[in-house]
Parts: sequence; C-alpha cells; structure tokens
Amino acid sequence: MSLRAIIAIILCKALKTFSLLVKRGGTAMPGRFALAVCPDLLGRLAKGVKVVAITGTNGKTTSARMVEEAFMDEHKSYFANRSGANLISGITTEFVMNCTLTGKPTKEYAVIECDEAAAVKVFPQLKPKVIVVTNLFRDQLDRYGEVTHTLDNIRTAVKGTPESVLCLNADCSLTSSLALDLPNRVLWFGIEKGASPSHERSELSDASHCIRCKAEYEYDYISYGHLGSFRCPKCGYARHKTDFAVTDVVEQGINSSTVVMDMNGDKRIVTVNLPAIYNIYNAVGAACAITAMGMSRDAAVTALASFTCGFGRMEQFALGGGTKMMLVKNPAGCNQVIDFLQNIKEKFILIICLNDRSADGTDISWIWDADFEGLSALGGRLQKVVVSGDRAEDMAVRIKYAGIDEKFIETERNYTEMVEKIASQSLPVFIMPTYTAMLELRSEVIRKCGGKEFWE
Amino acid sequence: MKLKICHMYNDVLNLYGDRGNVLCMQKRLAWRGIDCEVVRLPVGEFMSLADCDIVFIGGGQDFEQEVLLSDLHRGKDSEIIAAVNDGVSFLTICGGYQMMGNYYETHDGVKCDFIGAVDLYTVGAKTRMIGNYKYKCSDSVGGSTVVGFENHSGKTYLGAGVEPLGKVLAGFGNNGEDGTEGVHFKNLIGTYSHGPLLPKNPELCDFILLTALERRYGIGELEKLNDSAEIAAHDAMCGRIQ
Repeated sequence: MSLRAIIAIILCKALKTFSLLVKRGGTAMPGRFALAVCPDLLGRLAKGVKVVAITGTNGKTTSARMVEEAFMDEHKSYFANRSGANLISGITTEFVMNCTLTGKPTKEYAVIECDEAAAVKVFPQLKPKVIVVTNLFRDQLDRYGEVTHTLDNIRTAVKGTPESVLCLNADCSLTSSLALDLPNRVLWFGIEKGASPSHERSELSDASHCIRCKAEYEYDYISYGHLGSFRCPKCGYARHKTDFAVTDVVEQGINSSTVVMDMNGDKRIVTVNLPAIYNIYNAVGAACAITAMGMSRDAAVTALASFTCGFGRMEQFALGGGTKMMLVKNPAGCNQVIDFLQNIKEKFILIICLNDRSADGTDISWIWDADFEGLSALGGRLQKVVVSGDRAEDMAVRIKYAGIDEKFIETERNYTEMVEKIASQSLPVFIMPTYTAMLELRSEVIRKCGGKEFWE
Repeated sequence: MKLKICHMYNDVLNLYGDRGNVLCMQKRLAWRGIDCEVVRLPVGEFMSLADCDIVFIGGGQDFEQEVLLSDLHRGKDSEIIAAVNDGVSFLTICGGYQMMGNYYETHDGVKCDFIGAVDLYTVGAKTRMIGNYKYKCSDSVGGSTVVGFENHSGKTYLGAGVEPLGKVLAGFGNNGEDGTEGVHFKNLIGTYSHGPLLPKNPELCDFILLTALERRYGIGELEKLNDSAEIAAHDAMCGRIQ
C-alpha cells in the first residue's frame, strides 16, 4: 500500500470510531474523506476480497440480507454494508473497517448492496465475483433521470468488470437487455407461468415497448409491473430461459411464503421468511447468487427460511396490536405493498409517511402513479388512514381522490405522538414510509419498544 | 350532462403521475353529479376528436419520442389542430406541451418537426430545470396561483402575440429567461408543471371543466366543493417555494 492509502485508511478508521463514540450514524462520511485523500482506495482494498454485489431499483437490501444469511450460516468470514450506506463513500467505509492499517483485508467475502447510479464508480473497482441486478423500475426521476438512463449506467458499470458472473432477472425486459451486449457469463432467475399471480396488463408499464426496436411487447403472463414473459413480435427479443425459477407458489401468508424453486433442475420446497410476491423475486435472485458464490443449494434454502429483514422492509415491531413497517419509494414497490394489504383479513390502521428530501426523491408526483385506489377495495377492514411526513397534505389529497371518505383520513405530524397512539390501541398497524421518514419513525418506534439503531 | 375526456398517448406519455390530472377531472365532475367518459387513445389507434370536450396529453421519456412522432404524423396532427381551432379544451403538459409547438431543436442542432398547433418552439438546453415552482395564471385563465414541479431540459419560446399561461413567481417556467410560464391559446393550456398539476390546484381544474361545460352546454357556473384538503396541500407548498 502507498503511504497515501495508509493515511486514508487511518483517517477513515479514526473518523468512524469517533462517530460511533458520539453515537452518530457516520456510515458515509469517513469513506468520503478517505476517498478525497486516496481516490482509488476502494479498488486497492477490494483486491483479495470475493464480493457479491447487488443492485437494481427494488429489493437490494432484502436480497443482500438473504445472501448474507447464507454466509453467516455457513460460518464464512465476511462483511456487509448493512446500514444501507450504498454509495461509494459508504462502501469504502465498510472496506476500510474490514482491513488492517496497511490495507490487508481481514475478511474473505463481502456482501455489498450498491445504488444503481453509484455502480458506475463502484463495480469497476470492486470487480465483484457475482453481480445481481434485481429489476429496473421508474424511480426518483429527479435524481436518476429516466429508467433507460439508469440501465445505461449499470451497463457501463458492468463493462468495467467482464469477469463478473451476472445474476439477472429474466422477467424484466430492461434488466435482461444487459446480456445483449456484455460478454459476462449470465445466470437467469425468474417466476414461471404456473407461479405467477397473472396480473392484467396495467395501464402504466415502465417498459411497454421493445428496448431494441421499440415495437410493443407481447406477454403470456405478467407477475407485476412490466415483469413477466415479455416477447417482441418484431425483433424477437424475449424472456430468456431461467436457471433458477419459482415454478409454484404453495402458500402466501402474512409473514412468509412457501414456494417450489427449481435450482438448475433441482426442485425444492422453499419457505421465504417475508411475505409478498416481490420478496419471492428477491428470494430466487438471492438463491441464484448464493450458489454462484460457491455455496450449496441447501445453504440457500436454509438462508431464505431464516434471514432477518432489513430496516423497514416488512419489519415487525411489538407495538400496540402489532406494527409492520413497509418501506415505499416508487410506484412499483408501492403497488406491491397495496397488493399485500389485500391479504389482511382483520381490521387495521394504515399510516402513510411521505417525505420529499433528496434520499426520498424531491418530486412526489409518483404517488399518482401508484394504485392507492386499491385501498378503497379494502372496505371496512381499513379503519383509518393516518397521513404524515413533510408532504402529508399531498398524501391526504391522493387518498381522497383514491375514493377514501375524508372522515377516515387523519393527519398526525408528530412521530412521538403517533407512536404513543399506536401503542395505546389494539388494532394492527401497517406503516408505509418513504426512506427518510422510515429512519426517523423507526427510531421513535424502537425508543418505545426496543430494537437496533441503524448504525449498530 | 356528460363530458368526454380523451387521454391521448396514455401508453407512452405517462411519466410523472400524469394520470392524476384525468382522475382529478373525473372526480370533480362526479362530485357534482356530472357524467364523464374517459377514452384512452394510445399509439397506433385513431379516433376523431370532434366530439371530445377535453383532451389531455402528458409528458414522456425521450426513449419513446420516436414512436410518438411517426404516430403523430399519421393523421393525429391534423385532428389535434382542427380540435384546437374548434375550441375543444386541451391540457398539455411537458412533452405534450412541446409537441403542440412548431419544432424541437436539440442543444446540438438536430431539429424535429412538431405539429404547429400553437406558434411556439422549444430548444434543448444542457442543464435540466428541476424543482418545485409556482406561477400566477393570467386573468383570462382565472388568475389563480399554481404550485407544481418542473423537470425539463427544453426551453420554450412563444411566438409574437401568443399569450403565456401565466407569470413565474419562483422557478424557471418556459425558459428561465423571460418570466413566462406555459401557453394559453384558444382553449388550449400548455404547462411545464408536470404530473399531478390539477389535484392541488383545484381552481385551475375547475376553470378547464367550466370552459368545456360552457362550450357544450352553455353553463356559466360550477357548484362549489369542499376543497379544504386540496387548499391545504396547495398552501403548504405555496409557502415553501420562495
């Protein structure tokens, strides 16, 4: 290691230790300073670490937790960027905290969740053994631009690391197109027709026209959004045959799903320790990555049944009549959560916290693309909708126009008060927060009922 | 009583919650007991706009623009021009607004012809104009203050004598230079306020509805609604944008 790199490492470790002492998050700041001192630090530190990197619009954190569980169960020496610090600065901090003062890695493996826009800088430095791309949807247009722009970013990122094995979502026409002009070896995962919930083609698709020739896609089935058996009638670009696939859904519960997963021809019954179809996608992608990292299919099956979810990702709290926090950040993910609510059989309260800070996206127009109309289908089971966050008023208007009578809509801005109210009643509560609202509200919730802070 | 709304290019021009505008018009008519039929007109299909009362066109991604242009020049262009001149109400946003003009010229000089329903043109800039913004509508459009979100790289310039929709109070508007925002030509409104423009700006929504009702049924006034939620959302942003 050069002297410059060693200085950067010492600086980074000192800053991180200090921020832990003063109990501040500080996940990204130490890495940012280290990179200012030594811009190629991440590339230097990543040599000798076998990395699995996960990117895509939705499901990064959950997929990473699933993969991490396998490393933990198999007693591998590994680290992960667990607190959602998924930009180059936060990832650098994690690598520094897992190396010696002279830059020698202290762990054999790393499980790295990476922001889609940051991948361009991160992947060529990490040269991951395996890269998972979960899916691509419209997301925070003010920050990422159009979805095809995000796709181009990931393509450029992967071009810098041709040896990486790609695990791609075969059902996503955008993600799949990465294989068209990259030399990398590809493993495909997806959900087969028999297991797909067979949605109607929705009015709003993030990819209705062929990425190659712009003709309109045809589908045999759609699992959700634009995911499904796409096929271009004009140029023939179509869903690739899968290596890892869910072939049947045995049971979809409130807390988990049981599915049949075909892993390279080996069919297994798999329990996924989180509910909803999008987590079934995360599970099959994670299984693909776990085996691509050299672990067994048994290890994948065990991990999927027992992993702990990331913060706010269908996370449960023993508060009031039971509280579940379900992060939302874009129409595709939000629709999945609204779909999930249709399965709740008992009466419940829904809280929606909408913020518009830079990590949430400053443009909240997307709430009109999400199908909140699905809430009015819940009838009397939906006892009340509480709106909160910086843009509570906009959320109230959206809910009103979704067909919910205004007398069931309440505004509560103060999170401390809100948590007290949740604690004092017996109905189950489902909370849909955007990212920064989730972090704030979660702190308030665990102050009341216990749990980990995000930097712990 | 019934109004017919055409949501044109709902399949490709739907980028930023645009459909919130159609939903808003539908609901505000329904709450007043007025029927409303929404007809969606995607790429590749054709219909006459002569019996439509309101045409809505939203914004889109650059990726789909080619698909759109060839479709427009297959007859939709002359249909739109005839309807605009006939006094049909139009709400066009962002890409849909630019499309009503004469042409779009990219920042490196590539020109693509639009339909020329209104005398205006757009030139691509290198930096995007992004953020919450507000503008004051001219009196001919009711004079209300509109809060919205703009996200465009095109700078639009109005032809001589063409009236803007309003004056920018904060943000960029048409081009960030002359203080104008949008266009108001006959009963056509064009604006950069993308996505859900109407839900938080109920006065503008009612202006559009009333114009259409007046043309079809000679109605001069709309029943008042309880807009406290909408006004709260409007005022909260109005106070924040400086």
